[in-house]
Amino acid sequence: MLLLLNTALAFPTVVIGLCIYLLLMRRGPLGGLGLLFSWQAIVVAEVILALPIAVALSAAAVQAVDPRVRRTALTLGAGTLRTAWAVAREARFTLAAAVVVAFGRVLSEVGAALIVGGNIRYETRTLTTAITLATSQGNFNLAIALGLVLLALALTVNVLIQLLQGRGDV
Amino acid sequence: MATFEVAGLRHTYGGRAVLELDALTIETGARLALVGPNGAGKSTLLRLLAFLEPPSAGTIALEGRPVATHGARRAARRRVTLVEQRPYLFRGTVADNVAFGLRAAGVAGSAVDQRVRAALERLQLHALASRDARQLSEGEIQRVAVARALAVEPVALLLDEPASSADRAAQQAMFAALAEEQARRPLTVVFASHLLEDAYRWAGGLLALHQGRLSPVTPENLFRVDLPGGAGMQRVAVGPLLIDVVSGRAGPATLAIAPDEILLSAAPLQSSARNVFRGRIVRLAEHGAEIRVTVDAGIELVARITRRSFEEMGLAVGGEVYASFKSVAVRVF
Repeated sequence: MLLLLNTALAFPTVVIGLCIYLLLMRRGPLGGLGLLFSWQAIVVAEVILALPIAVALSAAAVQAVDPRVRRTALTLGAGTLRTAWAVAREARFTLAAAVVVAFGRVLSEVGAALIVGGNIRYETRTLTTAITLATSQGNFNLAIALGLVLLALALTVNVLIQLLQGRGDV
Repeated sequence: MATFEVAGLRHTYGGRAVLELDALTIETGARLALVGPNGAGKSTLLRLLAFLEPPSAGTIALEGRPVATHGARRAARRRVTLVEQRPYLFRGTVADNVAFGLRAAGVAGSAVDQRVRAALERLQLHALASRDARQLSEGEIQRVAVARALAVEPVALLLDEPASSADRAAQQAMFAALAEEQARRPLTVVFASHLLEDAYRWAGGLLALHQGRLSPVTPENLFRVDLPGGAGMQRVAVGPLLIDVVSGRAGPATLAIAPDEILLSAAPLQSSARNVFRGRIVRLAEHGAEIRVTVDAGIELVARITRRSFEEMGLAVGGEVYASFKSVAVRVF
């Protein structure tokens, strides 16, 4: 299971984009859904890209938690859910790191978004695909401006996550 | 009623048997010490009694009901709490930690605060309620863990090496709180210790484990007494006997006489031993080259002698013998 996940971590994003394209194309098995070149297709692709990272890193985070946490929660009468919550709470820094890494992968991703979204203006153009287009058109000012927006977004999300962690750590 | 009844218990780790107990009953309200060297199976037994893992074979009944299924173990864990050797405190404050079990039990918000406060006060920890649990000393962590365990009012509290923390005063406070809790309500306390001294000091009963089995070599000659007090030498009533001990203490105490400090003789000895009692041999137990002789002198005294002395003296069950020991050989706990 972990091996599969770890393989998925290293999967090239364009290959995932291609697979989803083949699934969603008109003659593909899921062509009837009419999702190709829609923002929903991009969401599906990004979830598939981010999930293995989130799961693999979360699993590693939970495995690294002191085994006494689980035993302590159980012996104090906690049920399965509360015990899992207690373990997750103790692992929250590494779990947050998993979120940041997964988010980073989605934020910087261009290949799959381009293939399944089609880079349609006002419809499926993401920041990264817009930068790709602007650069190829020689519109470097726009490309740099969009790049800065992307960086600011990444920074903001990271700061927010750090703030949330800090607040929980009384 | 018995809190725990264990039958045919076997537990293995990686194919290796670590615990084999044919039968064991722990009565409600007991204060039992599990003694034995490291690796004797004490922690394993405590984890099984805490229902944190199922035994490889055999049954454990809690208050008369066998706990065999996953669901039964889960329900049983609400009634038995284990404090580990190095307790883990969750992130958050001391009060958060003590509230954990209460919240898990679905106790209402206002009642949680009240019970947290009461539990902390019992362990003299109220001043630490809002402190970060990560900033406590080892002794404080131990006491917070005990307060957290007592807050859920378990029928049995299991403690793994509670005296291993460096802080002696913290241990005193902890055991005093446990005694107080036992006086308040029926609570069974079982604690593991590799130090006999702690067992003598705090336990009402002793259970010796050796290599995963109940050891026949239990610490013997333990007597609960009330010391009359006085300077230096005291004469203490133990059953019908009066035993001379050297202690300046007064009040409840435990006397311990090591079996190898007791001399057996056919006639009263002319010696410096202040305690000489006549009795009758009621039991003999052989352990290799040594023999443990139980003498009924009004109370049962166990003496450890070599097989050679045993044969030369011609001792036998029913035979009359004198047991002598010095007053300084009587340890007072």
